[in-house]
Order: sequence, then C-alpha cells, then structure tokens
Amino acid sequence: MSNADPVPLDHDGFLRAIIESSDDAIIGKTLDGIIVSWNNGAERMYGYAAAEAIGRSIAFIIPMEHREELQNILLAIGQGQRVPTHDTVRVTKDGKRIDVSLTVSPVLDPHGRLVGASAIARDVSAAKHTGAKLRASEERYRSIIDSAVDAILLIDRRGRVEAFNAAAERLFGYTASAVLGRNVNMLMPEPFHSEHDAYMARYLTTGEKRIIGIGREVVGQRKDGSTFPVHLSVGEMTIEGERKFTGILHDLSARVALESQLREQESLTRLGQMAAVVAHEVKNPLTGIRGAVQIIGSRLQPGSREADVIREIVGRIDALNALMTDLLLFARPPQPQLAEVAPKDTLEMVADLVRKDPGAREIMIQIVGHSDPVRADAQLLKLIFQNLLLNAVHAIGGPGAIHVSVECRGSICRIAIRDTGPGIPAEIQAKLFTPFFTTKARGTGLGLSTAKRFLEAQSGTIAIVCPPGGGTIVTIELPRA
Amino acid sequence: MANNPHPPSVLVVDDELLIRWALCEALGAKGYNVSEARDAAEVRTALSRSNGFPDIVLLDFRLPDSSDLRLLADIRCRLPAVPVVLMTAHATPDIVSGALDLGAYRVLTKPFDVREMVTLVAEALDQT
Repeated sequence: MSNADPVPLDHDGFLRAIIESSDDAIIGKTLDGIIVSWNNGAERMYGYAAAEAIGRSIAFIIPMEHREELQNILLAIGQGQRVPTHDTVRVTKDGKRIDVSLTVSPVLDPHGRLVGASAIARDVSAAKHTGAKLRASEERYRSIIDSAVDAILLIDRRGRVEAFNAAAERLFGYTASAVLGRNVNMLMPEPFHSEHDAYMARYLTTGEKRIIGIGREVVGQRKDGSTFPVHLSVGEMTIEGERKFTGILHDLSARVALESQLREQESLTRLGQMAAVVAHEVKNPLTGIRGAVQIIGSRLQPGSREADVIREIVGRIDALNALMTDLLLFARPPQPQLAEVAPKDTLEMVADLVRKDPGAREIMIQIVGHSDPVRADAQLLKLIFQNLLLNAVHAIGGPGAIHVSVECRGSICRIAIRDTGPGIPAEIQAKLFTPFFTTKARGTGLGLSTAKRFLEAQSGTIAIVCPPGGGTIVTIELPRA
Repeated sequence: MANNPHPPSVLVVDDELLIRWALCEALGAKGYNVSEARDAAEVRTALSRSNGFPDIVLLDFRLPDSSDLRLLADIRCRLPAVPVVLMTAHATPDIVSGALDLGAYRVLTKPFDVREMVTLVAEALDQT
C-alpha cells in the first residue's frame, strides 16, 4: 500500500493514462501514415520504444505481403471512414510475425477537421494458436470417434443422447439426427426400454455401479426392430459441471452366431458318433431278428395266422429300420461331393421309385422343364427329392397330382414341386424345418430338416409356400453347373 | 443244386447268432455247404488250413476283434479268386469305396432281406 495520496488527474491526463495503461497497442499517425504517438502497449507488442517508432512510417511494422493493406487503410481514413476491426499480421522488432486484431479510426481536431488516424491493435496470436490447437484436437477426437469400429454414444444424466458416431449409425440403422436429443432407451428392446430411466435414476441417487466401469453383454434394438447382442461399456465424466455417460458398444452378433454354429457343429459331430454306434447296435440285431423270423415264417403254413404275424413282425422291423435310417441321415455330416447333375433326370428316377409306393397309386406325377445340370451331390439330391415327393404323396393322401417344374435362369436352377394336397396350416408352416417336428402318425420329423441341411451344404435353398388356391409348393434353388 | 455232390461252400462271418443262423438256414436249404465264423480270429484260423477254402465269404464289417477293412484285405490277399460280400449296418462312403477298392464283390447294407443275400450268393458264384 502506498502511503502517498493519489494525484488527481485532469481530463486529458486521465485519457492519456488510460491509453498508456492499455494492453492494446494504440498508435496515432498522420494521414500519410507517419507515427505520432506510440503507447506502452505498442512498445510491448512490437518491441520498439516510442522514441524508435515516432516519426517513422507505420509501414515498418507491416510485413511485405500486407503492405497494400496500408494503402487501403490510408485511403479509407483519408475519406473520413473507419476501418472496422479485422484480423491481420504485423511484424515485431525481432522479426516475429504476430496475429493482431486491428481497428483504425479517423482522428478529428476540435474543429472537426481530419488530422490523422488512431490504430488500436490487440495481439491475438495466443488466442488464435489456442483456437487452432483446440480445433485440431477436436477434429482429431472427432475423427477417432467417427472412424471407430465400435459404436460410441454420449448421454446426459437424463438419458438424452448427445453424441452418436458413424459406427452407431451403422449398428442401429438410425442417423445421428434421428437419435440426438432423444432418450437412449429407444435403442433397447423391452424390458430394458422401460426400465432404463429407473436404472439411471438409481445410479444417480445411490451411486451403485451395475454397469459403469464394468461392461457387460446387453441386447440392442435396431431401427427395424430386430435385436442383437452387444457388449456395452459405460464411462462416466463431467463436462462443464454436467454428469455425462459414454457408452461404447461392440457388436457381438457375428461372435454369438459363430458360437452357436460351433455348438451346433459339435452337437452334430456327437450325434454322428452316437449314430454310428446306435446303427451298429440296433441295425445289427434287427438284421438277425428279421432273418431268423423270416426263416421261421417260411416254415409255417402259408396263409396261417402265424405266417401273418411273422409278416407283421417283418413289417415292424422294416419301420424301425426306416426310423434308424432317417436318424442316421440326419446325423450324417453332409460332405457333399459336388458334380454336374441334371436334376430332371434325378427327379424322373426318383419319381419312378415313388410311383411304386402304395400311397401313390392314384397320384399323377408329372415332371417338366429344363434338363440343364446343377452343381450338386447326386446321392444327396436323390434323397432330398425322394423325401419331398413322398411328403407330397402323404399330403395328398388319395387321388391327386404332383407337378414338378425345373427352370434354369441365370446362375440358378429352380425346382418347384407342387401338390394338390390340403396345404399346410400357417402355425405349422413355421415349424416345418424343425428337427423331430412331424404331423405324420409315423414319422421322425427329420425329412425336411435333413433336406434343408443337405441343400445348404450344396449352396442350395429350400422354401415352402401354400398358395391361397390350395396345395403346397416346395421350391428348391441350386447353383447351375 | 441240392443233389450236387460238391456243393459250393459259403463262409458266414458274423458275431450275431441270429444272422448266422438265418443265413445258414437259407443257404443250407439251397444246398450250399455253409460254415460259420464268429470273429476275425476264427476266420484267420479257417484260412490257415491248407484245404477246404470257401467258395464265397459273407463278411460282417464289424466284429468283436475287427472294426476296419484289414480282415477283408487279408481274405482278398489269401484267396484272390474268392468273392467276398461285405455286410455293414453303417455303410459310410469311406467304407463302401474302401471295400470295393479292395475287390469286395458287393457291400450289402444291414438289415437286408435274407432272400436278397441268397440271390446275391448265386449271382457271385455264377460269375466266378
């Protein structure tokens, strides 16, 4: 603290003091640009003492490439116009370029005559530098976030989405603009959709972390309503005093699908191993029983009741064997041996066999269309056609017709098997390819699931529709040879 | 054939008593001279004898002491002119093609109709 009382200033002195104490460079100059005053701020900013600057042209602090600015400024001032604040560059005594924000105004004498100009410059280098750095840093983070493979989103304490990156757009099928500002629960299926607000409220009141900093597998919901498994890790932060939560979501669909595929493969392998054992342990004794019973039967009086019973026994054994065969086919790992096969020829051959089935006596089987070859396993194709034609025969269950068409177009060969049966009720259609699902009194429910598996192993597809007019159409597509 | 003084001999190899019995009865009724073996060891003993070779062998793929094609290979090696019908309950493509490569006359999938086997034996012996 100074113990001397402050000296009172007159009006001019006060203005001078203001000018001298300003951090801005305040420079007075004549209409032709000769410096007449140079305040402390100018000394600090440009590095020249007032004595060095006064009397010189202002041009000496203007870099060469900006010299024409001076002409324009002097021209404007000469016409009594103010040069509004603008960013430009000046050069200091030690040759350093600095960014300045500059305003130049005309100076009038007490009579209102134009006598010169005042230039007020503020050093904005630091601000400019910081701004550019900030922009670069923001851009860097933005590009990291936008190029991230994982979905990243930011929500506020009420669950409103504040950021939604490109991966999130891809993952959920929403554009960022459709999500920003909305409740994040729009990305979740029930019950999470309804419960999420409560989860957040609980955390905000109790601080009990169930997912934050832990991460776990959750279920996401896409725009189209489909759901998918996703790993979610949540981080918490405070931006400008507000609590925010970041979510990073890693799509697990592919991994989960692969895992279930592996599990299915494993179980099929086990099933295959079991089938080989069961085949031997069941089919072998069946062969013995069948043979022995047949021999005994041949010694009985033809037409006797006992001979009839023997025939029944042989029939039952054959049914058991058929069941075993279905199970073995289902369990057999399909390793198709692809070759050129004409499906029409295979169909004709199978149709000949099927026509011998007692159930097919009153059914007309017609095959029309191309005889172009497909790439398939002849043996598997035969089994598939046999399954499907017998299914059609059983569906018709009396007089009727089966119409088969073979049509090759582009790289695909399409085989459509249409029967005149009663069709399939909608609730059953959905389960048609489920193993062990059957509507037959005696059936394993393996025919269609085996057919589907075999077709898929040969890059083929199978679909079943029941047109409103009645009947059923089974459509198979296979790649053309 | 029932009156043939030198009827063709058939060796039936299976560990399942009922199969052996059914085949022996069915083939015996047709006049064949049928002998039986229950496992690979009995087959090898039968083959090591210097006389009385079978004219045809009906061989089960899986026996208590054999579960591959080695026994078939041994028989084919020792008696190249004798047809062998392989019987199997689980005819994988590998087994079928392996057996045919070794010169098996036919692979018959179990269960089969005994009459079918009788027809096959007659056909095989006809060709040899």
